[in-house]
Amino acid sequence: MIFIAILIGCILGAILGLNAPIISYTYSSYLAIAIIAALDSVFGGIASVIKKNFDLKIFISGFFGNAILAILLTILGQKLNVDIYLAAIVVFVWRMFMNLGTIRRYYVEKWSDIIKEKTSKKDTKTQTEDKVEK
Amino acid sequence: MTNKKVISIILGIMCFALTLGICVQVKTIKNTNSTISQNQEANELRDEILRYKERYDNRFKELEEAEKELEKEREEATKNNSELEQAQQTITKGNKITGMTEVTGPGVIITLTDGKGISTSTLNPSQLIVHDLDVLSVVNELINAGAEAISINEQRWVLTTAISCRGNTIDINGERIGAPFVIKAIGLPEYLAGLERVGGYLEYMKEDGVGVNLEKSNSITIPKYSGVIKFQYLQNVEE
Repeated sequence: MIFIAILIGCILGAILGLNAPIISYTYSSYLAIAIIAALDSVFGGIASVIKKNFDLKIFISGFFGNAILAILLTILGQKLNVDIYLAAIVVFVWRMFMNLGTIRRYYVEKWSDIIKEKTSKKDTKTQTEDKVEK
Repeated sequence: MTNKKVISIILGIMCFALTLGICVQVKTIKNTNSTISQNQEANELRDEILRYKERYDNRFKELEEAEKELEKEREEATKNNSELEQAQQTITKGNKITGMTEVTGPGVIITLTDGKGISTSTLNPSQLIVHDLDVLSVVNELINAGAEAISINEQRWVLTTAISCRGNTIDINGERIGAPFVIKAIGLPEYLAGLERVGGYLEYMKEDGVGVNLEKSNSITIPKYSGVIKFQYLQNVEE
């Protein structure tokens, strides 16, 4: 369900994005950092759904808060001539990997459970067949 | 279940915004065709130039609109007033001469292209290329033949125009211009076509291997000067 929604969102976004007008080059660096923040939020959202502690308020406030803070840091960095946005990118990417790790662990465990169940079922089946033959 | 629905809708919207942003960003970067270099300073300088260019383009559009408005205002103000109308005519005439308006008329189009062959001269191997001095000489001959308006690659030749060398391009009116050079001139086509005479500069360039093409035309449109002519030190002599 969640993955279908994500897929539909991605496809719609790509279709609209391909027809959207380009933005001015001045603001492209801000958009880039906002994209990284949004990517982080999406991964965080999926991870929290898996952990079953998803909170809508926290998710939305995190999305907007992170993006706005990152953009403000970028502007400040340009004024101070320090590339502060690099710090924001490092934090976002680090969190992305953490969340990806959570998602990965969950699915690997799920699949290994399923495989275990299947093999155990097969074992019981063969045992019952043996009994019938006897 | 409703909770799950809300979650999936919110995540879907988020992904929509995300992919939209990525697409727009990729398109923007592609459009500015900036190559990312390892040197940070070069990157910053390139960014600066792109930003200034954008600002310049915006200002230029604003200027064009303001000029149109000025024209309209002038026309409205000079209605039903013969004296002012005369002044208006003088302004229009002056603008035509100084290059502040688009003009059209008969004339010639000269196209100069870099030579394709192998340079036969060992003394001066760069003679195959159209140089700033070549363009300057052609323009000079055109003026000598009575050209009333001249443009080089859509850059109007005005009072303050300088033609100078900028590496493999030529600087005209502060704009970089590369080969091939299309020189348009308005005047009596028969006189202007006299540039092709034996012993003329075009003949000399042809001998060097530069591609020269002269074409007569009955209607040539020459654009107006895109800059501003500004005089600071010039004053009228009081009598």
